Amino acid sequence: MNDSKKNNGGLSVQRLTALSLLTAAALMIYAIESMLPTLVPIPGIKLGLANVVTLIVLKRCGARDALLVLLARILLSACFFGSLLSLTYSLCGGLFCLLVLWLVNRLLSGHYLFLTSISGAIAHNLAQITVAFFLTNVGGVFVYLPFLMISACLTGLFTGLCAHFTLKYLPHFESGRF
Amino acid sequence: MNKLPSHKKNAMILSALIALLLLVCLGSIAIIAARTKKQALVAEVYQNGTLIKTIPLYLVTENQTFTVTGENGAENVIEVRPGSIAVISASCPDKICVHQGFRSDSLLPITCLPNHLVIKLRLAKDSDASGIDALTY
Repeated sequence: MNDSKKNNGGLSVQRLTALSLLTAAALMIYAIESMLPTLVPIPGIKLGLANVVTLIVLKRCGARDALLVLLARILLSACFFGSLLSLTYSLCGGLFCLLVLWLVNRLLSGHYLFLTSISGAIAHNLAQITVAFFLTNVGGVFVYLPFLMISACLTGLFTGLCAHFTLKYLPHFESGRF
Repeated sequence: MNKLPSHKKNAMILSALIALLLLVCLGSIAIIAARTKKQALVAEVYQNGTLIKTIPLYLVTENQTFTVTGENGAENVIEVRPGSIAVISASCPDKICVHQGFRSDSLLPITCLPNHLVIKLRLAKDSDASGIDALTY
């Protein structure tokens, strides 16, 4: 069963509010996560909890809204905590990740959210390591690739399950109860 | 939408692909680790992709520090000890390069992405022994 609603035209007040709320939640999660100490001393490995929100929006509201929330989150987080450089990383990683999430979610008709999430995490890390290669111009950064892929599978599984269980308890945005 | 059989098939294909990827990654880590033995090492410091310093670690006898500066006030303090190298302080926000600590194997390069700095360790070649002098270090 696919929750995404076909919506043509502008944002209703209800949807706009729900999306803003979710963007704020994503931003909060991102801020808190960036305060946590890094577990593994390898650049690029993190939990990516903010992706839970992207997954939820993608499943509930569709790809267009997920793109809106993702872009708002990345731009705002770059304004608040980041630099221009981290914006490049986040933007490339985030957009490629969303593209893969959307594609896989369609292939799986909205089922097995954790598989979607794992694919997204892999795409995210692939995109970021490619950006890292272009920025540092050192081929050696690709040594990180297998480590990043394994961490993507683990963190993707975790965020996917988080999103799955959150969706169970999250009321529908347009039911008037939100 | 009557995709019930096809999405299950897709899920299985995808799971198989992910499992395959995991196996390939584990395999390549094993290969990289096997090729990394404690031997005479040479550290190469790259900034923005250009080699700015080559340090034969096996010839270092006492601890020394130097600072690499870059654009926008980027700064990394690097300490060299006999046989190992580390970034001991950095101007970047996440300090991952500092957390990587002293490295004495060529498994993973030390990387400070915000400051475009990469320190690669490689096994010493014959040409290193003749080339080292006060110029390179």
